[in-house]
Amino acid sequence: MTTETEATTAEQPSANGADRLAGQPDIIMTEGVDKWFGDFQALDDVTLSVKEHEIVVILGPSGSGKSTFIRCLNRLEEHDAGRIVIDGIELNEDVRNLRAIREEVGMVFQQFNLFPHLSVLNNITLGPQKVRRMPKLDAEQLAMELLERVGIPEQADKYPTQLSGGQQQRVAIARALAMRPKIMLFDEPTSALDPEMIKEVLDVMRELAESGMTMLVVTHEMGFAREVADRLVFFDEGQLIEQGTPQHFFESPREERTKLFLSQIL
Amino acid sequence: MAEQPPIPPPAAAAPPQPPRKVVLPPHRERAHRPWRVRAEEWVRRNLFASPGQTLLTFASLALVGLVIAGAVWFVFFQANWRVITVNRWLLFAGGFPLDEKWRLWLSVALVFPLIGAAYGMWASLGRRDLLFIALAGAFVFFLTAHGDAGPSSSVWFAASLALFFLGYRVCRFVPRETGRPRTLAVRTLAALLALALPLVLIVLMVGGGAQASQFGGFMLNLILAPVGIVGGLLLAVPLALGRASSLRAISWTCTAYIEVIRGAPLIGWLFVALFILEDVISSPLIVRTMIVLAVFTAAYVAEYIRGGLQSLPRGQGEAGHAVGLSHLQTLQVIVLPQALRVSIPPIVGQAIGLWKDTALISIILPLRELVGNSRAAIAQAEFIPDRIEVYAFAAVLFWIVAFMMSRISQRMERAQGVGER
Repeated sequence: MTTETEATTAEQPSANGADRLAGQPDIIMTEGVDKWFGDFQALDDVTLSVKEHEIVVILGPSGSGKSTFIRCLNRLEEHDAGRIVIDGIELNEDVRNLRAIREEVGMVFQQFNLFPHLSVLNNITLGPQKVRRMPKLDAEQLAMELLERVGIPEQADKYPTQLSGGQQQRVAIARALAMRPKIMLFDEPTSALDPEMIKEVLDVMRELAESGMTMLVVTHEMGFAREVADRLVFFDEGQLIEQGTPQHFFESPREERTKLFLSQIL
Repeated sequence: MAEQPPIPPPAAAAPPQPPRKVVLPPHRERAHRPWRVRAEEWVRRNLFASPGQTLLTFASLALVGLVIAGAVWFVFFQANWRVITVNRWLLFAGGFPLDEKWRLWLSVALVFPLIGAAYGMWASLGRRDLLFIALAGAFVFFLTAHGDAGPSSSVWFAASLALFFLGYRVCRFVPRETGRPRTLAVRTLAALLALALPLVLIVLMVGGGAQASQFGGFMLNLILAPVGIVGGLLLAVPLALGRASSLRAISWTCTAYIEVIRGAPLIGWLFVALFILEDVISSPLIVRTMIVLAVFTAAYVAEYIRGGLQSLPRGQGEAGHAVGLSHLQTLQVIVLPQALRVSIPPIVGQAIGLWKDTALISIILPLRELVGNSRAAIAQAEFIPDRIEVYAFAAVLFWIVAFMMSRISQRMERAQGVGER
C-alpha cells in the first residue's frame, strides 16, 4: 500500500442502522489480497473486513477489480497473495474449506446463470438436494417458500428461458438463498436488466437486507447504495481507495479519484 | 357462405333488401376455388414461371423420368431376382444356423416396438413416414413370402410390425410438454433401448443358439453398428472431458488419441483389428472389430462433445460451484447434460456414417457382413451375371435403415422444445 493511495476510513459505519452493527463479529476478513491475470494486476493489496449482518456496497469504474474481489471470496477466482477468512474458515487449497465456504456464501451473477435445462423449481432444489442431502420433498417445499418470498411462486414449473430478466434474477436469488447462506454476494445483479425490471430485483434485495443478511453488493444503483448500505467501498485500478458511510461518500468524499468517479455517475 | 348467421327479421318499415354479399378473406377465397384451378395456379407459379424455369423443369423431368424408367425396366423386366431369393439366408444371416431362425425373428420383435416407441416419443408418423413404412414393409413381405422362407417368417414380420405400431401408440400417450411424467417415460425408454442390444445378443446366443463366429450378413451389420455407436459414445465422454482438462498430461493424452485415430481411415484401423490387436487381446475377430469400431467412433464423437462443452457459457459451471456443487457434480448435472444435448445432431450424423461404414468390414476382414456375402452370392457359377441385382439389393437395405435413422434424428431435433435446449 503506497502512501498516495492509502485507504481512508471515515467514521464508524452506522448511517443507516444507528450502531446496529456495534459488537458484531467480523464474518469476512481479507488481508493484502493480490490477484494477477497474466501481466495485469486486477487486485492490489486489498484489505477489507465485513461484520455480520452488514450491507457493503462496492463501487468503482469498470475494470477496477470490484467483481474480481467478490469472485475471490468464494474462489471463482483464486487469489495470488494475501489471506481470505470467511466465518473463521481460511480460504486456501484445502477442498474441504472451500466446500464449507461455498455452502455459506451465496452468489448472484450479472447474467443470472440459471440452469436452462432445469425447471425453475429444480434450479432451486438442486443445491439443497445435492450438497445438503435434503430429501426431495423438503427441498421442494423450501423452494416454494423462497419463490413466494421473491414473489413468483406461480413460475415454479416453467423453464428459465420462459421468464423475463427480472424474474430470472429473482429465481437466481432464491436459488442462492436455498443453501441458507450466511453471506450473499451480488455481482452487478441489475446491470443486465431492462430499466422497468430493476426495481423488482432491488426490492427483493432490500427485503433481504432488512432480514439481517450479510451482503456484499457490486452495483451502479446509487439509490440503493444510499438507502440500504451500511458502508460504501470504492475500488479503482485494483486498489481499495476509500470507504465510509453513504453520508460520508455522497457529501464529503476525501480522495480525488472518488470525487471524479462520483461526479461522473451522479 | 354456408355458415352465414341467420339474418334478423327486418324492421317493419324497412324496404326489402337484396341479400348481402359475404366477402371472404383472401385465403378463404382461395380455399373455395375448385382444386383444379388451384393446382393449375401452383404449377404455373412453381414450375413455369419464366422461360428459364420452364426449361429447367423439363430438363429435370426428363432426367428423373429417364432414371425411373431405367430402374423400373431393370427391376421388373431385366433383373434376375432368383439370386436374392436363393441366397436370402446368406444375405440376411450368413452362417447363422437355419434351425435357429426364430431367434432372429424374436430379436426383430423385441427391437421393433422400441423403434416405434422412439417415433411416438419424439415424433408423430406423418404421411411420408407411413408411405416409407408401407413401401419398406411391402418389400420385406415380398421377401418373406417368396421362395422357401416359409409362412412363419411372414407371421413373425407382421407381428413385429404390429408391435412397432403398439410401441408408437403407447408413447403417443406421453405428454409432449416437458415435465415429470415425460422425463420418467423418456428415461424408461432410454433404459430399454440401452438394454436392447445385450438382450438381443442373449436371445441369439444363449441356450444352444449361434456362435459369434456364425453371425453374418445383414444381421451382422445391424449388430456391429449399434455396438460401435454406443461404445463410442461411452468412450467419447471421458475423452472430451479429458481433452478439456487443465491437467496437461491428461489433455495431451486425449488430444493425441483423438488426432491419431482421426488421422487414418477406418479401413486402416480394421487392418489393426485383423493383424495387430490379436497379439494384444486374445479374443474372437468379431469382438476385436467391435472394439475398433467403438474406438474409431469415440474419436469423432469426442470432438462433437467438446464443441458442445465449449458452446456453454462459462457462467454455467461457475453457478454450479457457487451453489456448492463439487467439480464432479457440476459436470454431471449441469455441464454434460447441456453439452450432450447440443451435440446430438452431429453425433447422429456420425452414427449414420458408421452404419454405412460397416460395409467396409468385409473388404478387410474375414467377417461376412451383407456386402461380403453379396460377393459370395455372385461367386456362385449360376449367378455370376447378377452382380447388379445383389448390390442394388444391399444398397436398398442400407438405405432403409439410414433413412429411418435420419428421420428419427430430424424429429428428435425438432421435438427439443423449451427448456430442453
